[in-house]
Amino acid sequence: MSHPVYKTDKSLELFKRALKVLPAGIPGHLGPVESQFIPTRAFPFYADRVKDSYFWDIDGNRYIDYMCAYGPNVLGYNNPVVEAAAAAQREKGDCMALPGRVQVELAELLVDTIEIADWAYFMKNGNDATSFAVMMARAATGRNKIIRIEGGYHGVAAWTQAAGRPGVTDADVGHNIILPWNDVAAFERAIAEHGSDIAGFIATPYDHRIFADNQLPAEGYWQKIRQLCTANGIVLIVDDVRCGFRLDLAGSARYFGFKPDLACYCKAIANGYNISTVVGIEALRTAAAHVFYTGSYWSAAVPMAAAVATIKELQRLDGANLMLAKGKALTDGLVSAAARHGLDLKISGAESMWYMRITNDDSLMLQQEFCAECTKRGVFFVSHHNHFINTSLTDDDIRQTLEIADEAFSIVAGRNPQRLNK
Amino acid sequence: MLDQSVLARCNLFGVLKNIEYLAEHDPESAAFLPERPLSIRFAVHGGPLATLRLNPAKADMLAGRHPATVVLGFASPEHFNRMVSGKANPIPLKGLHRLAYLTGPFGKLTKRLEGYLRPDEATLRDPERFRRSAEMTLYAAMFSLVEIANGDPQGRRSAARIPDGVLQVSVAGSVGVRIVARGGQLSATKGYDPDPRALLHFASLQAAADIFSGKLDTYTALATGDLEMRGYIPMIDNINPVLDLVAEYLK
Ligand SMILES: Cc1ncc(COP(=O)(O)O)c(C=O)c1O
Repeated sequence: MSHPVYKTDKSLELFKRALKVLPAGIPGHLGPVESQFIPTRAFPFYADRVKDSYFWDIDGNRYIDYMCAYGPNVLGYNNPVVEAAAAAQREKGDCMALPGRVQVELAELLVDTIEIADWAYFMKNGNDATSFAVMMARAATGRNKIIRIEGGYHGVAAWTQAAGRPGVTDADVGHNIILPWNDVAAFERAIAEHGSDIAGFIATPYDHRIFADNQLPAEGYWQKIRQLCTANGIVLIVDDVRCGFRLDLAGSARYFGFKPDLACYCKAIANGYNISTVVGIEALRTAAAHVFYTGSYWSAAVPMAAAVATIKELQRLDGANLMLAKGKALTDGLVSAAARHGLDLKISGAESMWYMRITNDDSLMLQQEFCAECTKRGVFFVSHHNHFINTSLTDDDIRQTLEIADEAFSIVAGRNPQRLNK
Repeated sequence: MLDQSVLARCNLFGVLKNIEYLAEHDPESAAFLPERPLSIRFAVHGGPLATLRLNPAKADMLAGRHPATVVLGFASPEHFNRMVSGKANPIPLKGLHRLAYLTGPFGKLTKRLEGYLRPDEATLRDPERFRRSAEMTLYAAMFSLVEIANGDPQGRRSAARIPDGVLQVSVAGSVGVRIVARGGQLSATKGYDPDPRALLHFASLQAAADIFSGKLDTYTALATGDLEMRGYIPMIDNINPVLDLVAEYLK
């Protein structure tokens, strides 16, 4: 069956207006360049509305959305339970001169839910959380250096960026020590060289970098890192901003069997409402209280009410396992569809936020063609980043996705006969 | 801060290399090529060494020491760069008997080069001259890119992150340059690669010219399809900061 190809002219028209008044047209990671919309004309640029697993672009096309707003959509867009909780709080007040009662309720819920959490501290974006965690590590240890992993993404603050990037000074990144993923020996060497000045080790639960197959932790990796951090007085920080609640509601660290000192959450905790958090162990409570860290909207009550409702819904649904299972059904189907057309599709990472790549070339060109052909027909895939499952994804959505993917694979295969499996 | 030695390399292997193009594609330049073969060595103290081989129908810019009829010496990269911008003279070390060619026809040749690289309205309006101007600009930028990536301290930092592979730069209906990255070192050749890892494609010569002159920004061009990138984008991502430096070096 062939699926109609979407037109996205209104997106382009609006984008041309945007270019006059917004740097890069669409600033940040949602811009067509940063989003790797290749070719750009295959992709919509603006969303009009959302519901469950779908968004509609401003040309009126519906897409099954596997980016989930880059993670926040975890229960389905506009989930009625979350929206009701948010609306009830909005009636009473959102951004106020004092925090609402819900601040305490949310902190209690997080402490009960996340294995290592003895306290929670709220902010807005993932980067607010990772920067705070790094500051706390420094405050608690009196040391300077931060170990991070090559290719790891922790936000956009200058310290998270690569040396030489526009606006980044050498001083901004001068205390970073960058190590390869899954390499305990490299950490041991760093300790031997800088041990007494290493404040923290920050990493995502597994290596979910862009443009590359994602890599789970090697057997014993995290346990060894934990041991070395403990032995050397280094604060172990897990950046669970992207994985959080998609592997295990008690924390991705529990999923991999280790206990960090601090964990950063953001994307999945309030189903799209703007809030992030750092949770931590008892020993770091004082550091958390002493680092001066706040913002105009950080105590707003509506996102907190949304977070309480989201976490309770995720608990009720056993959300992480549900998303892992849906992801498995979808990715198994995608792999077989690819194989039918002589293409190898490699799935990596956790199935609830899988990364996929056609391996018949090493340039991602086939992958880019595949994602473009899917998107043009209503399945929103991007070629460089992991995708996301949300709990509202239905069997029917998966079936439709596989049909469209089948057509897209056949188009890619037809155009690239020399690349196909023999 | 521009590194003068890198700038000297850009001037030789990016800008003056376009004399090759003039010899091949600019009929008016034919009159300024020497009647007898002639090789000019540019010997820059503390900088690059290059030999421009000229004959009545062809030109080649070669890196390094090659037999030369004329040797032009420069006390430093700055000295050489000042010569290129018309503010200093070289020290002729050998081949004084051919000096008349250098001060006469060769000077006219480099004037034509400048006319194409800094085109006036008349050049831009004439389709054939516009084509030459745009193609030479692209070559100057791409070959300078390589020098900056390999030599400029900031360029080298970006280049170190460029994954191995071939980036094919191409302009529809016009020319191509293949840029090869190996272990953070770049090299470039004119032409097309059968199996590039990434592509940077300009939909027209006009689009390329407008982007290089800053009239069209790359975000607009990418959205409208005037510029297209495909393939392993980390190659292009890490080349982009070097391209920004090209604009500074060739200002
Ligand atoms: C692992 C990780 N850390 C931090 C961040 C930064 O979060 P934010 O964009 O909300 O600042 C992200 C965002 O994608 C992320 O994936």
